[in-house]
Amino acid sequence: MEKVVYNNGYMTETERQNVATKENIMIETTQLIPGVTLRCCRDSRFKQGCLSFQLVRRMDASEAHLNALLPAVLLRATNRHPDLRSITQHLDDLYGASVSTLVRRVGDYQTVGLYCGFMDDRFALPGEQVLAPMAEFLEELLLDSPVSGGAFLPELVESEKKNLIATIESELNDKRAYAMGRLLKTMCREDSFGLPRLGEKDQVAAIKPKELLDHYRRILRESPIEIFYVGSAESGYIARLMGPVLEKLERNYVNLPAQTAFHGGAGEDVVEEMDVSQGKLCLGFTTPITNRSPEFPAMQLLNTIFGAGMTSKLFMNVREKLSLCYSVGSGYYGSKGIVTVSAGIDFDKEQLAREEILRQFAACQAGDISEEELNSAKEAILSSLRSTHDSPGSIEGYYATAALSGMGMTPEQYMAAVKNVTLADVTAAARSLTPHSSYFLKGVN
Amino acid sequence: MERIEYPMLDEVLYRQVLPSGLTVLVVPRKGFSKKLAYFVTDYGSIHTHFSFGGKEYCAPAGVAHYLEHKLFDMPGGRDVSAEFAALGAITNAFTSYDMTAYYFSCTENFADCLHLLLEFVSTPYFTEESVAKEQGIIDQEIGMNEDAPDSRVYEDLMQAAYREHPIRVPILGTSETIRKITPEVLHTCHRAFYTPGNMLLCVVGDVEAGEVASIANAVLGTEKREVGRKLRDWQEDLTCPAAYTSRTMEVAMPMFSLAFKCQPPEKGEAGIRREMVADLAAEALFGESSQLYLRLYEEGIIDSSFGGGFETIDGCAMLMASGDSYQPQAVLDALIEQAAKLAESGIEEGDFNRMKRSALGRRIRGLDSFDSTCFRLCAYHLSEFAYFDFPAVYAGITREEVRDFLAEAVRRENSSLSVIYPPKEEENL
Repeated sequence: MEKVVYNNGYMTETERQNVATKENIMIETTQLIPGVTLRCCRDSRFKQGCLSFQLVRRMDASEAHLNALLPAVLLRATNRHPDLRSITQHLDDLYGASVSTLVRRVGDYQTVGLYCGFMDDRFALPGEQVLAPMAEFLEELLLDSPVSGGAFLPELVESEKKNLIATIESELNDKRAYAMGRLLKTMCREDSFGLPRLGEKDQVAAIKPKELLDHYRRILRESPIEIFYVGSAESGYIARLMGPVLEKLERNYVNLPAQTAFHGGAGEDVVEEMDVSQGKLCLGFTTPITNRSPEFPAMQLLNTIFGAGMTSKLFMNVREKLSLCYSVGSGYYGSKGIVTVSAGIDFDKEQLAREEILRQFAACQAGDISEEELNSAKEAILSSLRSTHDSPGSIEGYYATAALSGMGMTPEQYMAAVKNVTLADVTAAARSLTPHSSYFLKGVN
Repeated sequence: MERIEYPMLDEVLYRQVLPSGLTVLVVPRKGFSKKLAYFVTDYGSIHTHFSFGGKEYCAPAGVAHYLEHKLFDMPGGRDVSAEFAALGAITNAFTSYDMTAYYFSCTENFADCLHLLLEFVSTPYFTEESVAKEQGIIDQEIGMNEDAPDSRVYEDLMQAAYREHPIRVPILGTSETIRKITPEVLHTCHRAFYTPGNMLLCVVGDVEAGEVASIANAVLGTEKREVGRKLRDWQEDLTCPAAYTSRTMEVAMPMFSLAFKCQPPEKGEAGIRREMVADLAAEALFGESSQLYLRLYEEGIIDSSFGGGFETIDGCAMLMASGDSYQPQAVLDALIEQAAKLAESGIEEGDFNRMKRSALGRRIRGLDSFDSTCFRLCAYHLSEFAYFDFPAVYAGITREEVRDFLAEAVRRENSSLSVIYPPKEEENL
């Protein structure tokens, strides 16, 4: 703390231009104390910064619900800001900064924490700062919750339990997300990927305030911690800002088991009825190729050609040629090795849609892919990777989880690997896929 | 091109009206990879009644959206999406009540992409067969929308709140109305509203402003053509035909949306100022830092899904709030009661300054998003306001204006409430 940091660690214009080079993002990684990693992306192109703090857990039915509830309770009150109103007023004073809860699924892991978004200091009135008080407030939210009798305040816990249960139940409102959740649950009965990210309703309802605080203290002690910053300040400054948080932690750090590939049981075809106007058909495929495999770029290209975007085989055929649906697309869960397809269709078109999806899948496996399709898919992935670097939120979203999911390549290596994929590689990736399960949501009668 | 600097925002804007009448806005973003271009027409789902070429037309509901789908078809079997994809770009479009936008984002080949965007949007190509085929796709989109409770609760509210304004009809139209759409209808609407004088091109990214203008001149030409005249012949006052509407759907808990009908703001700075006043009023009344939000949240009447603000659409303006709640009527009552209190007591100066500071900070942060910046520049331009002037407008707003707005707008007789109940939920109103 004795070292004086020039101008709060901002960059000069020349430094700024040097750093802001396209395709060449620099993530500076520092081990602050064992098990606590700070990743910084110094970039002064942006008008806002972000700072996230995540505890990394194993996705496990015994605690997923506790982890999901925890950040919402932390955001309700601190000893200095005892209710929602005073918390929001404090954020308003920080030029409309925001703090939101993070509960992410990253392969076999679940991360739990807080995400702060805030205006860059250069727009503040002369003499005012945002980043430093923001970091202080993050510390307050994390470590200065009001506690009574060794427990979080019961009224806060009860009210956030209700909110979380409502959120879990409201998954039903978005039928596409609901259907996809049901498919993954069906596929992954024996894999952590089938566990609901926010836990089960009944488990949430049973949480006790003391149990939650005990759990929080334990995971603060034991979990790997990931701190991620994007903005104009340099990493040493962020490390110093986070110092007070780390000093207060009593750490007894336990390493996490490595990520695993899909190991669900046998497949199943499930049909469910509900009072809806449109049917949702979801198909699930599995592959041994994960984002830890050398074949990962080929698999991502295959997914793009098969079903991602408006030029994919699924869009061109199931929607454009046969007019069977408005929405159709595929997704690849790289941390697990699962590819899913979802389509919104008329109830009586289920068989037709299913056949057409499988026909397009067979075409991929047969290598019926044009150079044009391959090149377009490469461009799409490269372009999306390049634009990932154009907003603090997407930088955080991508890089704060990439390392955890076991993806070992730097962006440059990854882009180079995408460029080198051949048609034969993509066909081989398609052949590694096996249809596993399906789920169909249809109307009553 | 005219170059305007906004040092407070660290932004520069280039602006020019081309000989064809097309307005071009360019925000150069040095050092960014992404380039985003919006090609927008001042024409949306509500503009079904218009005059053009000396004739009056009443087009079927849903035509603006249908047209948006069909413009992606090109003569000679060309596939626009595939051409963008080959350039490494993504293209898409959306139709709202009062505008239609076509856009692409790319990191390379910007000039080719821009050329393609301007070309496909200004090339109508509709065959009987392709127009008929689109019905299947749009029927499915309508079906998807019917299962989306957040769309339903909003559309129901518009029907309850408005008597004649075409906002009563969903943007997509209905299964019946879209069957009346023919190639001829599409051609007429395209000629009337997809003429450069009714359009706007907005680009955000590391590009040369002059290049954008010269590509637009090359593709669209320099000839000025007639623009269709929208016939806004609806009679609306501030009362709502129905104070309450509800339906049952497969939702987990009751969901509501409510509106207080307001006088539609005028165009230009006065209108935008009113919009920002209204947003601050919403913040003061039920924002997260308000007393009311805290009370309703702690009593469990609202949860974190609750939110709202001021919404304007050509000919309509509403102060709106929505969310999940087991007691939607209690939310409405509380809003009316609290607005009366604030109108009486006024807003505390400290609170007011804090809200302004927060609103300004959030807007500045929002500029990092290419999509939101491009969209706002377009939407505000159509309201005849230069979006980057927002800090000066905020600076001028007084707390009396905000109080007056609350006193005038939040009235029971101007309100309407729409609720969606889960199948087994007893209506407790």
